Amino acid sequence: MFNNSSKILFLSVMMTGTLITVTSNSWLGAWMGLEINLLSFIPLMSDDSNNFKSSEASLKYFLTQALASTVLLFAVIILMLKNHLNNDINETFTSTIILSSLLLKSGAAPFHFWFPNLMEGMTWMNALMLMTWQKIAPLMLISYLNMSNFLLVSVILSVMVGALGGLNQTSLRKLMAFSSINHLGWMLSALMISESIWLTYFMFYSFLSLVLTFMFNNFKLYHLNQLFSWFTNSKILKFTLFMNFLSLGGLPPFLGFFPKWVLIQELTFYSQYFQLFILMMSTLITLFFYLRICYSAFMLNYYEINWVKTLQTQNFSMNFYLTMSFFSIFGLFLISMFYFTL
Amino acid sequence: MKYLSICSISFFNLISISIIFFLCSLYFLLNNLVYFIEWEVVSLNSTSIVMTFLFDWMSLLFMSFVLMIASLVIFYSKEYMSGDININRFIMLVLMFVLSMMLLIISPNLISILLGWDGLGLVSYCLVIYFQNVKSYNAGMLTALSNRIGDVALLLAIAWMLNYGSWNYIFYLEMMQSESEMMIIGSLVMLAAMTKSAQIPFSSWLPAAMAAPTPVSALVHSSTLVTAGIYLLIRFNMLLVNSWLGQLLLLLSGLTMFMAGLGANFEFDLKKIIALSTLSQLGLMMSILSMGFYKLAFFHLLTHALFKALLFMCAGAIIHNMNNSQDIRLMGGLSIHMPLSSACFNVSNLALCGMPFLAGFYSKDMILEIVMISNINIFSFFLYFFSTGLTVCYSLRLVYYSMTGDLNCGSLNMLNDESWVMLRGMLGLLVMSIIGGSMLNWLIFPVPYMICLPIYMKLLTLFVCIFGGIFGYLISVMNLYSLNKSLKFYKISSFLGSMWFMPYMSTYGIIFYPLNYGQMVVKSFDQGWSEYFGGQHLYNKLVNYSSTLFLIHNNNLKIYLLLFVIWVLILLNFLLFM
Repeated sequence: MFNNSSKILFLSVMMTGTLITVTSNSWLGAWMGLEINLLSFIPLMSDDSNNFKSSEASLKYFLTQALASTVLLFAVIILMLKNHLNNDINETFTSTIILSSLLLKSGAAPFHFWFPNLMEGMTWMNALMLMTWQKIAPLMLISYLNMSNFLLVSVILSVMVGALGGLNQTSLRKLMAFSSINHLGWMLSALMISESIWLTYFMFYSFLSLVLTFMFNNFKLYHLNQLFSWFTNSKILKFTLFMNFLSLGGLPPFLGFFPKWVLIQELTFYSQYFQLFILMMSTLITLFFYLRICYSAFMLNYYEINWVKTLQTQNFSMNFYLTMSFFSIFGLFLISMFYFTL
Repeated sequence: MKYLSICSISFFNLISISIIFFLCSLYFLLNNLVYFIEWEVVSLNSTSIVMTFLFDWMSLLFMSFVLMIASLVIFYSKEYMSGDININRFIMLVLMFVLSMMLLIISPNLISILLGWDGLGLVSYCLVIYFQNVKSYNAGMLTALSNRIGDVALLLAIAWMLNYGSWNYIFYLEMMQSESEMMIIGSLVMLAAMTKSAQIPFSSWLPAAMAAPTPVSALVHSSTLVTAGIYLLIRFNMLLVNSWLGQLLLLLSGLTMFMAGLGANFEFDLKKIIALSTLSQLGLMMSILSMGFYKLAFFHLLTHALFKALLFMCAGAIIHNMNNSQDIRLMGGLSIHMPLSSACFNVSNLALCGMPFLAGFYSKDMILEIVMISNINIFSFFLYFFSTGLTVCYSLRLVYYSMTGDLNCGSLNMLNDESWVMLRGMLGLLVMSIIGGSMLNWLIFPVPYMICLPIYMKLLTLFVCIFGGIFGYLISVMNLYSLNKSLKFYKISSFLGSMWFMPYMSTYGIIFYPLNYGQMVVKSFDQGWSEYFGGQHLYNKLVNYSSTLFLIHNNNLKIYLLLFVIWVLILLNFLLFM
């Protein structure tokens, strides 16, 4: 991915766009940052020139984001007109429009339909960027709006769509997409409580996604049955991979539970029991299908395609992966010990 | 290593402790001493839990007998179990068993007695399942669970005893004899004793426990496990006299005696015959105990321990020689091939029958004569004397099958007296089962009982025994053309020969309906409705929802974008016109 100098340019511009959005103090500046981000991400997405699917994905991404940006710009202009060029956002319907466009940009539930489609046509590294980095700007902008009602609808729909959508998936990228939608629900919920919890959640989620995606990218894993057959000659890799899966799902002894734990405590503190209930129940469903995958992988052995490939460890930095897996699996213990010593 | 094996060390230790205890008991008996040692463990709200040791002549004498028999049994096991790789575990289990028995004997306190009581139950389970196979496992389960009923009864008795502020029952028995609470305690203790001593509703475990190695049977059936119940009731004897408890116990134990005597006549398994004879003797002890003659019961307990241990040891020797076959039909002519073992076997058998001047004679004869001069109904009287006859009957039948005639075992089978280690153990007990009766008689009863009977009643016991012996010979005589008469009354003989169906009732009878209902519950709830409406239904519903969700997902991108535009227009509409 980094063998092309143009990619360095686009990547840095893309990051700059996000930073402009995050740091701007006017809606126009934020919009500008989003546009810069979008326009530099498009060439990154279509780097795999042999694959028409990635071109299609980049086109879809462009259309969606352009529409969202247009609506955002439109709503911002209306807002400014009504409030005499003031940045006051207490206007209900205008800010609902802004919120809708930002949710569309981030891929949250009622406006998420482009997201799994898009993921299907991307390489893993691009998918990782889409799942993590591309969420920063819209989520940051959402945090400026204090619209809890519509956001709550989005939270509930996101977690449910994420949970139900992943249930029948055999494509890993779609699975990760729905998992991302589910996590996005949690993140939006965290946004409603406080920004620092959102930040914690986002960082942990990004880390866990990174570990998994790194693995998938190295071994070019795109479907579930590859998981079952690939690691038959390395039990440790198989085991850690599925531990990471469970960690991403948020099973308690692993690191993925930590941000959820924090959020659960905060939601309980603010008596948001209904919301919490829905969040947890939907996460149970995601955990269920992660566990189902792990169960099949641990208990079943597919020998049919064992002859295809042996493990390619030459271009794979095992140490890096295992170190990250260590934090992903034992991170919760480490954090507990860290707080215990404090 | 010969003298440093675990068997030899345990033997020397146990026999020396046994001699010390025996001498102590003589001293206590002479001076009429009772020592009472109490250690307070915890005291709470005027109720104290104490560990109590009671040393009187009775507990000391009993302990010395238990230790002596245990030491000889361990000595015997050195040879009997010599091929076993787990012999160390075996000996340690036996030692723990003896320790539990000691704790039981010296505790006059319900809580501290429970220590020995539960110890006996647990270790007996471990010993019964020693040969690890399905049969031993089943027998062990039956033994452990039957005894558990008694443990629960004892625990309940402890709970009731809380009323009195202490669990030292010996202080309260006489004082509170007439209270209804004390009667409840008494009935619970009686229940516990009946399970341990295998009285009638709980008899089935005793023959089943024959799955244990033969030395264990010798120990368990003579002086330890089964006599624990008798000993407990000896201590609680005050509550049985002149109350409905005693009458109930008299009936049940008389029936046990009768049932076991009949059952032994139908049995062909050597060890089971001996087990049933133990059961019959236990019934005898229990019944005389329920009439209030606790000293007589104790006397018979001790003499019975001597010859029954010997009998089991001889049986073990025979089983060794018969290539581990226990079927008496395959035996025969053993008196020619293994004379010393057979001599021991016959002496103990005759002592069991009450042959004059052997150990069993003194206790048994005295019990029967006391029965005759007591106030007793005709039914119990009949049970006593008919069972005595039956004892001689099955004993002679056993002698006839195993000792006379020709060997019926397979060819190429060498018979001989076992090595000296086993024989020495047996000969030690042989002496005791000859002189033990008279010795104990003079010790325990310094003043003789006054028994006044007409001549025909005095001779009744002897007559019953002789008649039983003749009958036992007649029913077991076989020749080429003989017809098995018991097959003509098959229903009756299968009823009598299977301990009145008690093994079936206490296994299938208890578990049949619960197991069936359990299966139904599992079938219709666990694997039925709860599975359907629980996990499976939830899963199917979720998968259905997921599929439905994908109906929306499988559209063109333009539709989603259009929907978004419509949504924005709606919002704009609200914005402009409201």
